[in-house]
Amino acid sequence: MIEFLKILCKLFIFPGFLFLSVYSFLLDFLDRKLYARMQNRVGPPWYQPLADFLKLIGKKTIIPADANAVIFSVMPLVSLAAVTVGFIYLPVLGKEAIFSFSGDFVIVLYLLAIPPLAAFLAGWYSRAVYSTIGATRILTQMFAYEVPLFISVLAPTLIAGTWSITELTGFYAAHPLYIFINLPVAITALISFQCKLERAPFDSPEAETEIVSGALVEYSGRLLAFFKLAHNCELLFVISLFSAIYLPFMTGIIWVDFILYIVKTLFILLLLILMRVTMARIEINNTLNFCWKYLAPVTLGQVILNLLLRGVL
Amino acid sequence: MSLIKKAIDWGTKKSPWIIHFNAGACNGCDIETIDSLTPRYDLERVGILKQGSPRHADVLICTGAVTLQTRDRLIQIYEQMSDPKFVIAIGTCACTGGIFEDCYCVTGGIDSVIPVDVYIPGCAVRPEAIISAVDKLLGSLDNDKKEGGGNYES
Repeated sequence: MIEFLKILCKLFIFPGFLFLSVYSFLLDFLDRKLYARMQNRVGPPWYQPLADFLKLIGKKTIIPADANAVIFSVMPLVSLAAVTVGFIYLPVLGKEAIFSFSGDFVIVLYLLAIPPLAAFLAGWYSRAVYSTIGATRILTQMFAYEVPLFISVLAPTLIAGTWSITELTGFYAAHPLYIFINLPVAITALISFQCKLERAPFDSPEAETEIVSGALVEYSGRLLAFFKLAHNCELLFVISLFSAIYLPFMTGIIWVDFILYIVKTLFILLLLILMRVTMARIEINNTLNFCWKYLAPVTLGQVILNLLLRGVL
Repeated sequence: MSLIKKAIDWGTKKSPWIIHFNAGACNGCDIETIDSLTPRYDLERVGILKQGSPRHADVLICTGAVTLQTRDRLIQIYEQMSDPKFVIAIGTCACTGGIFEDCYCVTGGIDSVIPVDVYIPGCAVRPEAIISAVDKLLGSLDNDKKEGGGNYES
């Protein structure tokens, strides 16, 4: 019984759902605040993401007459659920994730692909002009980043020889110098994650100045709140995945590792913000060109290098 | 009043998202409205964000006297916003019709078409006045509650 309660506590409170949402609110605040400071503005107060969320929860939800009501109202929850389930397999407290089995890497990558697909379906079934354009752009962008992202995330597993995130982190924590081999794919992964999160310079799917807000243009009230929450959680999910694969520095003491985790996530967030602040939006065809011409060859080269090194190391 | 209702009211006051609509202004007030969103005034520090879609917005910022051409569009955009929603009329033309009053193609101020919560006279309105108006609007939520409330939750 106590074991059961412990697992429930882990799932819903500490490294699970509650921690995920609270910390993702904090990251969203830091994102906006640093973005504002780098533009010489004051920026929002610390409670701003929470206030936005509560306000949206209290607003009336409108479902457009043309939209498919079921898909329209289910998709925000699908998006949030995928992110929350995926977070279970990521190591937060020390090396161990809440659950892990050999092959959870594949599950996590599949779950990572669900939020953009949910946003696509939501936009497509809203039956509005802007949301349809946004939804098409989301799919086009998926074709651009998905291959470089998957290869660059899977390349480090070739050296470690495992497809479990917990074992992978354990392997690289035991051999910290090996992570320098994976430096090229760390950079490509960072860029593909930026592309996946639809942040500038790859934010053409939700470009406010041209297609209003892309696929979510018809969303209001509670459904929009859950989409925003899912998007925030996706940011934290992606950052945690990055820190588990490419920055697996561990001490072995659980609480020190947890503080290290916080430091690592903040550092990665800073890199993502710097990318967002310094670059302007690029067109969707340029995103495709960039991802396939530059990111994909680098990741493929890394795969060959890692296969060769596997024989040597 | 339950705790959840209190939290939602707090959120409503702390995060007004605005959408800007030109109902037939000369662009003077529009420039000032956009001006107030620039880094110099930085409205994000009080939680104000500009939204593109009426579905996301809470506050409709209207400039200019309502012309016959924009009348139906203004009503449509107002109907597309989700409750609770507020309207601010910016500039003398938006308040009363201004110098365009009794013109053959003008129906008058914004309040001749949709209900308005805050009026800001001026030609053109300064950004400080717009910030002050949004502040007054959010303050009026408390006053509204003291008087029995419910005006803003339709």
